Amino acid sequence: MQKILTASKKERKDILFAILLLAPTLYLLLRIFILPIMQSLVWSFFKYNLMDGSAIEYVGLRNYVDISVLNDFWISMKNTSYFTGFSVLAELAIGFICALLLNQTFTGRSFFRGIIIIPWAMLTLVNGLLWNSIYQPGYGALNNILHQLHLLEAGTNPVWLSSSTNVVFFAAISDIWKMTPLMTLLLLAGMQSIPASLYEAVAIDGAGFWRKVWHVTLPQIKPSLLIALVLRVIGAFRVYDILTVFTANPNTSVSYLTYNFAFRYFYLGRASAMAWISTIFILILITIYMVLLKRQQKEQ
Amino acid sequence: MRRAAKTAHPWRIRIFKVSPSELIPPFYLWIGLLLLTIFTLLPFLYLITSSISQTQEIISGHLFPDLPTIQNYLKLFQGDIGNDFIQALENSITVSLWTTAVTIFVGLFASYALARIKFPFRVTLLFVILAMQLLPSISIIVPLYIMMREGISISIPFTSMVILHTKPLLDTTWSLVIAYIATGLPFAIWLMTGYFQSISKEMEEAAYMDGCSKIKTMHKIILPLALPGVAATAIFTFLNAWDEFIFASAFTQTYASKTLPIAVREFIGKHSIDWGLMTAGGFVASLPPVILSLFLFKYIVSGLSDGGIKE
Repeated sequence: MQKILTASKKERKDILFAILLLAPTLYLLLRIFILPIMQSLVWSFFKYNLMDGSAIEYVGLRNYVDISVLNDFWISMKNTSYFTGFSVLAELAIGFICALLLNQTFTGRSFFRGIIIIPWAMLTLVNGLLWNSIYQPGYGALNNILHQLHLLEAGTNPVWLSSSTNVVFFAAISDIWKMTPLMTLLLLAGMQSIPASLYEAVAIDGAGFWRKVWHVTLPQIKPSLLIALVLRVIGAFRVYDILTVFTANPNTSVSYLTYNFAFRYFYLGRASAMAWISTIFILILITIYMVLLKRQQKEQ
Repeated sequence: MRRAAKTAHPWRIRIFKVSPSELIPPFYLWIGLLLLTIFTLLPFLYLITSSISQTQEIISGHLFPDLPTIQNYLKLFQGDIGNDFIQALENSITVSLWTTAVTIFVGLFASYALARIKFPFRVTLLFVILAMQLLPSISIIVPLYIMMREGISISIPFTSMVILHTKPLLDTTWSLVIAYIATGLPFAIWLMTGYFQSISKEMEEAAYMDGCSKIKTMHKIILPLALPGVAATAIFTFLNAWDEFIFASAFTQTYASKTLPIAVREFIGKHSIDWGLMTAGGFVASLPPVILSLFLFKYIVSGLSDGGIKE
């Protein structure tokens, strides 16, 4: 406030111009993002069942208490954490190796850099359908190939998507296939800014592959590595599309369970409370992301 | 001794030797690239081969069809299935184009202001926008659903005068456009602000010196320079809208309003799955984003490295 009052005429004109340019955005975001999400916070303290005709009534923290004793919620939380941890770590490891490969100079590099974008560009839902067909017992490509490689005995025919743990594991594989390219491109951008002279300097001391990675590559790309990691955790935590193809069991992810409460049973109060639990969790991650981002900008 | 061995196998040196500035010897590099290609392309090829197989062949476990057929594709565009699928394709195009147009148009002004003008709470606003960009759809899906169910009313601020009250928007493509603007606009602003900030300030100041007005400078100097960034943002916005599933599955129940992901999802019937038809549909739905990404690879990569990643 102090700043605005003491601003000179030119500065005041600037501020006015900025407000003018920002007005449509502020109106839209307020109307279709900020106010709705606040509305949902209010509803999370109400009993609000859309379909059974019961009255909307204030229930305090009951929705949150109900969720905290709900077994399904904790199972879904565990599954989401498992999915997120497994897929993000695998993407990070594979993406790092792919980025190392694609950062070298060799003939046909742009071809290899180009093809990795194909899985990422595919529809998330089609990705789920494709892998679902691969995992089918009997005729699915996975069993087929395993039989042909004699890794599976001729008579056996495992059903891969049998338990919720298996579903989450195999959904993570398909997520790894789709999202590793993104991780690769992010890390590749970080690696491209490492000057060749750093590698040459340690090469004089006789450093091989591992020492170059450990002493040059990793410390140099640490900021982009951390940022990519947090971003992917935020991205993987919301998983829904793939799971809805694989299984009808909503306990496989928090998003799935929240969606089911909202649009299958229309318990909007409870769904809002559950959505807000996710929101708060993601907001914590966002704060970490912002701190990392600020630190990186300072270093540059 | 060692020297003798070296001269005896020059090929060995060539494929295992690594230049000081590189990390991986050629031998391992090409093994890695081979694995990378298999891992990346094999599932995608399987999608294509399934889509040109008869269901009978898929069920009997043929990875490559003995008798390739384009029947699945014909079925996709003919008869009742064809009508629904073409309608979904049109809906996807409409929703994605409208979302992109509105988002870029509105976002351009905001990101210019955020990048170029000093005003109080600028950084706070930027971080709020970043946070909005990263929040999951599930955070706002319930209130937006109710909003679409009741119709949106636009009133004059601070009064109770209603200018416009729309019909309920559930089962219309408009509900999706609005939801996608809500999630896409923060993302677009965040990206474009970065691009605007990377344009040198001297250019702009030189234009002022020559007596250009603010609007004219923005139009004549800044916009052409920022065009690649704006293009990248538009591609991302389009791809996100094309791919979106969770809002679409909650808001649209009728074939008149369903988008491609939902239409393809419905090929999973209650009792059996027509794999051929489904993979053909999946391939057609994925083709536009895949082609777009391959052709505009350069823009996508610059967009990614500038810190704007959603999914």
